[in-house]
Amino acid sequence: MQNDELPILRNLFFCIKRHKISKGFLRKIIILGKMSPISCTASSCRSIFIAIFICSNACCIYTNAQTTLPESRELKKLSVEELMNIEVISVSKSPEKLTEVPSAIQVITGEDVYRSAYTSLPEALRLASNLQVAKTNSHDWAISSRGFNAAQLSNNTLSNKLLVMIDGRSVYTPLFGGVFWDVQNVLLEDLSRIEVVSGPGGTLWGANAVNGVINVITKTAKETQGLFLSGSTGSFLKDYAAVRYGTKLAPNLYFRMYEQQFDQGDMKLKNGNDANDGWTMTQGGFRMDYFPSAKNTFTLHGDIYGGKEENPTNSIENGQNIYGKWTHNFSERSELTINAYFDRTLKDFPVSKITDRLVTYDLDVQHRFRLAPRHNILYGLGFRLMDDNFTNAPSISFNPPDKMLHLINTFAQDQVNIVPHKLELTVGTKLLYNDYSKFEFQPSARLAWLLTPKNTIWAAVSRAVRTPSRFETDEITTALTTPGGYFLSETVVAYELGYRLRPAENVSFSIATYYNIYDNLRSINTNPTPPSNFIFANDQKANSWGVEISGNVIAADWWRLRGGYTYMDKKFTYKSANVLPTASSIEALDPLNQAMIQSIMNLPGHLQLDITGRYVDDIVTPFTTTTSVNAYTTFDVRFAWEHAGYTISLHGQNLASSDHAEFGQRQLPRNVAAKLTIRF
Amino acid sequence: MTPVHFAKPAKSVACWLLCFFMGMQLLQAQTPASKEYKVKAVFIYNFIQFVDWPQNSFASETSPFIIGILGDDPFGTAIDEVVAGEKFDRHPVIVQRYHDVKEIKNCQILYLSSGEAEHLREDLAVLPGTGMLTVSDNNNFARMGGMIRFFTQNNKIRLQINPDAARAVNLIISSKLLRVSEIYDPNKPQQ
Repeated sequence: MQNDELPILRNLFFCIKRHKISKGFLRKIIILGKMSPISCTASSCRSIFIAIFICSNACCIYTNAQTTLPESRELKKLSVEELMNIEVISVSKSPEKLTEVPSAIQVITGEDVYRSAYTSLPEALRLASNLQVAKTNSHDWAISSRGFNAAQLSNNTLSNKLLVMIDGRSVYTPLFGGVFWDVQNVLLEDLSRIEVVSGPGGTLWGANAVNGVINVITKTAKETQGLFLSGSTGSFLKDYAAVRYGTKLAPNLYFRMYEQQFDQGDMKLKNGNDANDGWTMTQGGFRMDYFPSAKNTFTLHGDIYGGKEENPTNSIENGQNIYGKWTHNFSERSELTINAYFDRTLKDFPVSKITDRLVTYDLDVQHRFRLAPRHNILYGLGFRLMDDNFTNAPSISFNPPDKMLHLINTFAQDQVNIVPHKLELTVGTKLLYNDYSKFEFQPSARLAWLLTPKNTIWAAVSRAVRTPSRFETDEITTALTTPGGYFLSETVVAYELGYRLRPAENVSFSIATYYNIYDNLRSINTNPTPPSNFIFANDQKANSWGVEISGNVIAADWWRLRGGYTYMDKKFTYKSANVLPTASSIEALDPLNQAMIQSIMNLPGHLQLDITGRYVDDIVTPFTTTTSVNAYTTFDVRFAWEHAGYTISLHGQNLASSDHAEFGQRQLPRNVAAKLTIRF
Repeated sequence: MTPVHFAKPAKSVACWLLCFFMGMQLLQAQTPASKEYKVKAVFIYNFIQFVDWPQNSFASETSPFIIGILGDDPFGTAIDEVVAGEKFDRHPVIVQRYHDVKEIKNCQILYLSSGEAEHLREDLAVLPGTGMLTVSDNNNFARMGGMIRFFTQNNKIRLQINPDAARAVNLIISSKLLRVSEIYDPNKPQQ
């Protein structure tokens, strides 16, 4: 999924000073909800019927309270200046360009996150129904799409099939191919949108995009001008404070800086005792955007952070990053992007005496142009150098402890309009070079058939790889190692079929189905030759299949709903008799079903009521006491008063199912918090 | 491969979803044109007053003043309500909806819907030369040679006007309107 394929989404930010319905000429009109009669003959549908009845009633109640515009004839009396003073957008629109995208993409806008009770980036990802987001302890998460959320390793999980980018910066660690979610913080107020693509994204994005891509995009400095102050206090997220200031330094040169700090409390162990895993984190940063002409834009941004986890302190982390990007428009049909970044991240575990420091240097060049009226070409070249320094300890050691990793990639893609506005084919491939598995091919073909501008059927076939990480190649602890460091890339061939529908301006639905065939998956084997230990091998195969349904409905100009349902199942086969019978349960701890719904409401009197509900099915494993998790249903509520730059809000998280486990055994408590936000 | 088997919770989730979607349909059926488009409809009607329409815009003195909507109609009945019974001089104002740019023969104001965004440039190129004011929500509308673009700022509707594009088809947009609008400047980057 290429970022630039969604130009309309770029403008999906909403201004800070919302919902100021103060114009004298606005009056309230009561509209009686006119309900259509429902006919349902099947007696087995009783529960559905009752539910519909509740839904319908709810909508009657709220429709009655609706604030509407004056009639057209009165509006006509207003001058243009007066018309320009009417507030027209109360809840944000769904991104319409999505109707045509030939992949299983879901977009969470900054507004969606603002209107939820969530307080961190991983939590905000709960708003994408095609992701499994599970909290493992107070400071870490297990996040995957299309399954394969792997077992826990120390504080993190071994999950490795998802690529995560924050403003163009890849944040996976070559240590184990996963993400240290505790150090991926963004000021949520800065979020422009999060694009979540489930399914392979390897052709454009690179290694690790086997099962999905998460692309986090923040607003430009131009969109975040002025002063923003926010603070909250609560039961689980104990304290949170944030400040941001944006200003215009010169014509077309915008700048912002921010700082945020929080102190999160402890989760509970299975036996109900305090897990002592609370954490604190402080992060600051800046962003500068320069638009010297219509042809050039420059962006420079950076962050610095530090934090510590658990009591007594068992993990200290800090890091810095800086990212620069230049976009040049040769013409409307040709655009060049050059970006480079530096990222340093350090994790120190003082108790187990392990330290890992990773320094990344990255340079990417991308060019898009129209080759012929029906051919849009995108190609690029990237180089990444990762300098990993690991301090060995008895519990885990690497040979060599320090390693310089090189990653070179080049890709090309052609978007062919076979029949303009009807049939569009996107074919491309990535050629990747890495130090372990050397050259890798990741081709894909996607076909979009626009039945009408509001109906799209799409289909795709792609191949993606997960390249070996240091964990499977250089790790030399006797109990579990890889003989000779010989480990192959894991591969997937994915077949996808989807349908997107926009039956009306305010309603959109999407359904995506897939069948994935994985090979060379990591397995843990008993070593056939002495010493009798466990070894890593590529001896698992798997097939997986599933359905992802999502929808976005603007029910009224004061009420918006979004939600989705995901079904995923899989079957493993072992290629060797030495594979541990439970090896598949180490690689994939996934619920069969999950569902999410978010309701965003503007109520009269500057009030906002926002609710998210989610259901996650059982995680079934042979390890019933350690990794199996029971199904849960819970909801989060945000209730706010927002007026003239002031927002006072009450947040309740995990209200229905306090102290439930989501992954592993630790139990997530309820969080009740009060928050004050001021914007000038 | 084992057959797809729905466990009990799956059934209740399916029920819940069905309820969710059916509930939505009911809501959807009674949702009027959004507030945004009600106001935009009035804007479009007001544009009539802010443009010097050349004599040759109309076939005769009583031929209708046509507001055309190309592509998906976001206004619902709102724009029809606004123009009902209205006249410009002796030209009754009427609304016509077009599905294809080729259907357009004679209209004075043309709104190009966002659904048309993909082929906007081509649409603009085929439109008959003179006397037609083009309006759209598309971000790049002014840059592509469109005349008036709606955009939203602080939740309020703003106008971006490309007066040169209007002048090219002999339409003069009143300075009263230009004063409260953002004037398109090709040398300024679009955000």
